Amino acid sequence: MTLFSGFNASASALTTQRLRMDVISSNMANAETTRARMVDGEWTPYRRKMVVVEPNQKQPFSAFLGNAMKQKSEAGTGVKASAIVEDQNPFKLLYDPTHPDANEDGYVEMPNVDPLREMVDLMTATRSYEANVTSLNATKNMLMKALEIGR
Amino acid sequence: MELFSNSTFRVLERGLDGSQLRQRAISDNIANAGTPNYQAKKVSFKHTLNEAMGTNLEANKTNAKHIDFSTTNTGTKVYTNPHTTYNHNGNNVDIDHEMSELAKNQIYYNALIDRMNGRFQSLQTVIRGGN
Repeated sequence: MTLFSGFNASASALTTQRLRMDVISSNMANAETTRARMVDGEWTPYRRKMVVVEPNQKQPFSAFLGNAMKQKSEAGTGVKASAIVEDQNPFKLLYDPTHPDANEDGYVEMPNVDPLREMVDLMTATRSYEANVTSLNATKNMLMKALEIGR
Repeated sequence: MELFSNSTFRVLERGLDGSQLRQRAISDNIANAGTPNYQAKKVSFKHTLNEAMGTNLEANKTNAKHIDFSTTNTGTKVYTNPHTTYNHNGNNVDIDHEMSELAKNQIYYNALIDRMNGRFQSLQTVIRGGN
């Protein structure tokens, strides 16, 4: 554990939350995209994407050194986005015979993106981002205060 | 007379160490506030501080130039409570609690630094002979 590990934990969370916001933006932007990917010569709509988040278990060299020196400090090293997965829920069907991607019955497969859900996720990500900025500032203020010792 | 290694400085240093470790744990908890199956970490050092202060391990000195063991071990403990849950995804970070702990820890840290500065100030006063 180094001097800045508190920073690193908060910074990893900022990165993760920003990635979540990016993915949500992509979902919102593609809420009407019917030609996202070509599968067997046919266009398929956009699939909603989600970010998988897990605690960062990476063991830096300093952790091994600390263990060897019996100076255990078990506070973790933040969070990481381990994968971006696709929502496997079925596509929404919309009746629109004039649409160029409509099938024989006149139905169009639309992306499985729910704008309401995306907005709620966006708010969660934003609030989490703000909380992490607060904790980053707190850590920074503590270190700046430590520099004032003996002044 | 011990000028810098008296117990006041040692206690303050250990308090700062513990406060810093607590800051890391809180940062980690806030970072993982939405992570599935994450267990919130807690740092306890107030209980163990006094014990750590009481059990001083003395180095066996056969020469006046030998130095004491370093006293960096703070006696702090990081623990998790696996028996509670706040979300359906197995996460038990209470974000309101963490934010208030964050504010509390900052004030505590600043108070310790102020005390340390006050200590240095009085030493300086003594060195200057009261001027």
